[in-house]
Amino acid sequence: MATLTATAPRTIPGALKQPAVRKLLLLALVAAILVPLANARWASGAWPDALTVDLSEPLARTSDWIIDNRDSHPLFLYFFGHISNAVVLSVRAVYLVLLAAGWAGVTAIAALVAWRVAGVRLALGTAAGFLTCGLLGMWIPTMQTLALMVVAVLASAVVGALLGLAAGLSDRMDRALRPVLDTMQVLPAFAYLLPVVLVFGIGVPAAVLATVVYAAPPMARLTALGLRGADKEVLEAVESLGSTARQRLLTARIPLARKELLLGLNQTIMMALSMAVIASVIGAGGLGDRVYQALASVDVGAALAAGIPIVLLAVVLDRVTAAAGERLGTERKSPVHWAYALAAAVAIAVAGRLAGRLDWPEAWSLNIADPVNRAVDWMTAHLYSGVPVVGGTAEWAGHFTTWVLDPVRDGLQWLPWWSVLLIVAALAWLIGTWHTALTAVLAMAAIGVLGVWQPSLDTLSQVLAAVAVTLVLGFATGIAAARSDRFERALRPVLDVFQTMPQFVYLIPVVALFGVGRAPAVAAAVVYALPAVVRITTQGLRQVDPAALESARSLGATSAQQLRQVQLPLARRSLLLAVNQGVVLVLAVVIIGGLVGGGALGYDVVFGLAQGDLATGLVAGAAIVCLGLMLDRVTQPTERRTKKGA
Amino acid sequence: MSSTTTSSTTSGSAIGTTPVFSVEGLWKVFGPKADRVPADPELAALAPAELRTRTGCTAAVRDVSFDVRKGEVFVVMGLSGSGKSTLVRCLTRLIEPTAGTIAIDGEDVRAMDRTRLRELRRHRAAMVFQHFGLLPHRTVLDNVAYGLEIQGLGKAERRARAAEVVAKVGLEGMEHRRPSQLSGGQRQRVGLARALAVDPEVLLFDEPFSALDPLIRRDMQEEVIRLHREEGRTMVFITHDLSEALKLGDRIALMRDGAVVQLGTPEEIVGSPADDYVREFVRDVPREQVMTVRTAMRAGDCGGPGHPGALAPDEVVADAIRVVARSGAAACVVEDGRCLGVVDHERLLGVVAGTEPHKEAV
Ligand SMILES: Nc1ncnc2c1ncn2[C@@H]1O[C@H](COP(=O)(O)OP(=O)(O)OP(=O)(O)O)[C@@H](O)[C@H]1O
Ligand SMILES: [Mg+2]
Repeated sequence: MATLTATAPRTIPGALKQPAVRKLLLLALVAAILVPLANARWASGAWPDALTVDLSEPLARTSDWIIDNRDSHPLFLYFFGHISNAVVLSVRAVYLVLLAAGWAGVTAIAALVAWRVAGVRLALGTAAGFLTCGLLGMWIPTMQTLALMVVAVLASAVVGALLGLAAGLSDRMDRALRPVLDTMQVLPAFAYLLPVVLVFGIGVPAAVLATVVYAAPPMARLTALGLRGADKEVLEAVESLGSTARQRLLTARIPLARKELLLGLNQTIMMALSMAVIASVIGAGGLGDRVYQALASVDVGAALAAGIPIVLLAVVLDRVTAAAGERLGTERKSPVHWAYALAAAVAIAVAGRLAGRLDWPEAWSLNIADPVNRAVDWMTAHLYSGVPVVGGTAEWAGHFTTWVLDPVRDGLQWLPWWSVLLIVAALAWLIGTWHTALTAVLAMAAIGVLGVWQPSLDTLSQVLAAVAVTLVLGFATGIAAARSDRFERALRPVLDVFQTMPQFVYLIPVVALFGVGRAPAVAAAVVYALPAVVRITTQGLRQVDPAALESARSLGATSAQQLRQVQLPLARRSLLLAVNQGVVLVLAVVIIGGLVGGGALGYDVVFGLAQGDLATGLVAGAAIVCLGLMLDRVTQPTERRTKKGA
Repeated sequence: MSSTTTSSTTSGSAIGTTPVFSVEGLWKVFGPKADRVPADPELAALAPAELRTRTGCTAAVRDVSFDVRKGEVFVVMGLSGSGKSTLVRCLTRLIEPTAGTIAIDGEDVRAMDRTRLRELRRHRAAMVFQHFGLLPHRTVLDNVAYGLEIQGLGKAERRARAAEVVAKVGLEGMEHRRPSQLSGGQRQRVGLARALAVDPEVLLFDEPFSALDPLIRRDMQEEVIRLHREEGRTMVFITHDLSEALKLGDRIALMRDGAVVQLGTPEEIVGSPADDYVREFVRDVPREQVMTVRTAMRAGDCGGPGHPGALAPDEVVADAIRVVARSGAAACVVEDGRCLGVVDHERLLGVVAGTEPHKEAV
């Protein structure tokens, strides 16, 4: 948060300061009355026990009841049971089809689809990507993940499109859905796991449903956006020709929104991949599971062998869908070409079948796990510590933990509970409205009531440290990129790749470098959030009105003065957005950091899942939701824009 | 300019007196509880600004009445925000009127149910829009055929008909382009073709040429004049450009703040403005291009059956000046071989200067 005040321009006129001062005074007044009361009634320090509600008992009972009745209660038999069966069946069916097509067939079909929708270069890239997956010995897990993805993406796209259609056509639906979708978009993936596990138990259905819930919102948002953003005059023209509402929808509104629809599909696919990998914690299997297992035994080589296919899958899926969106409407694809393409793909698949080469040949596998592990061992031996002058990575991690993470955590936990609430209120109110402030305070208080005050503050301390590092690095890089075209051009492809990677894979390199613990979790969070922050900062600075810069330059301002007095103040909104995005993204990964020793709430969720102690996990999940809500509201600039997709 | 002469006659044979659209006391009020404004004489009489502060409502169209006659070009003209677009959209209920009556060929439009209204929009009135309103994902041909598609025509038939219309507006060879590959003028030709393709009884234009640059605009105006001459279709044409209004209109309704301040032929508007607002509006109009000999002539006899250099009564003053200057003497005005009067230097100068006695001579 320190950086936040630093970015607030010092040149802001008195008029803007006035309401801020007034808000703070009002808050101080409220505090002066309430705090002594609260202090007298309950102790200061950590959240008072008297104010907590122990949910673990009822939750455990609920979870036991569900487990006992899963096979007998009509609700499960006739509703969830059918959903669960349908999911299992469809995933299985897709998986079998993929296996039946064989590696040659799948690669050929994927490449041909990529060729038709996105061009030759991406087709080659797609083929190379799939072959690499096979080469790494990951063909089967890749197909498992793909099968799950296909089902989850289809379901998310349908659900999202239907919700988006409703919100796009009805104002009431839009008003009802928008806050929900907005909130869902800022919640960490982990928060979605427990509720589905509670209902469906660990396994593929839970994984698919968690993925659908996580991935459908962008489709819904963008569908609604596209339908609402349609050119009014075109719609009027269509209406003036005497069209029925149905004709209007089918021949005008939906086609006019197809850019947004495809963008929505792209984002849904990326979110689905991200979640499908994380959902390995609840039984998704496939590549994510390989990474998860490998990380659990700190086997970096194996984790990398499964992580690379994930990244390849992400890049291929993202590029192909994005290119399909860009090429929309530029040329008509003749169905004849499609027919040829399909025939060719089928021929390759059949050839593969006849040749008896359905499974990836064992001999063609490249074992990278061992060499990687040797490299990691070497690193552990030579770079972890004792490197002259610079120390070593493990030493850095240790220092970061002792000098930054521990003091911040202890400081937060030392603060009286009411002062935490006051700080939250003040920050949220200064940046947003009393409305956001109220939501933030209530969310924070809910964490206390849930009885997870201490671990939440632990998570919060990691988030704060990671956000601070992210913002320092991100703003510096962003400013540099905004000032130098060459640097920006060099940076762009890097950012592109980093922004498409699922959160989960960021854990692999940090474990290799720093081992396990809180510091690696923070490092992964920083790396994950950095691209978005850099991008928003650069864009914000570049969008500053050239005339304003011109006039500053004509007055003889040095470039440092220009930056400080013109660019930064004028880009204030973008910078605030960057902070908001940074916080949201950091939180998502800090939570996942529970898998690599990050502790706190993330660990509670993982522990709950691993031990079948759903009550602990659910409480932690609820606390994550509250924390996410609070952090988002505290940093929420009054105007929001679309979020980063992946 | 000869087209101005032919089209600005009210007595032209193509134009009948049966109204196509007949509008009576039409109101459109935007805002909360809009209904009470036309109903309450006190509110109805308020000035726009006051109405807004009192009720929060905007009266975009206030108490407008007019007839659009069969075969004429009826121009509605006014400054931005005067309610022209709202008015023309009320005609087919793209915007629901607040009060008043609208009839098309004697049938009450406001009483129509949804099916009947769709029928009206599909077959009887088609509209051309300022920003074209084309579907970007369709080719020119499919855009033009769109109205027919809505009507449920088969693909082959609608394409054949669309191709004809595309040729008629001069877009041959561009059938398979997308709107984004066309210039502004070409796009508006597509818009025009789309409206023509459904063969409507009335064409409605909402500032169709405002987004085009002057040269293209003139082309398109000529195109509309040509179409009107060839087909004699009834047109309602919205514009904020006075010269366009004078050029195209058989009759012009001049709007201000939602109300019609004057309705008449171009000559009546220029020659006898109803109030200072209209006078100010038409001040810079080249009067010799609009006023006709009929206004300029005085009673008199040309003295003889020969009528050398005779003028028709609906010729514009500019032509008369040419004739009179060449012959150096007064010219007679002849209609159907009958002498109506004479025009001389003095009268013609009077018209140009705007000091002519208002038609009392006729
Ligand atoms: N949907 C609406 N809600 C409220 N007020 C409206 C609405 N549509 C139009 N108005 C108001 O009605 C008045 C007339 O608008 P209209 O669009 O008919 O003007 P116009 O003459 O077509 O202007 P322009 O030449 O700019 O197109 C304006 O004051 C406008 O602000
Ligand atoms: Mg208008």
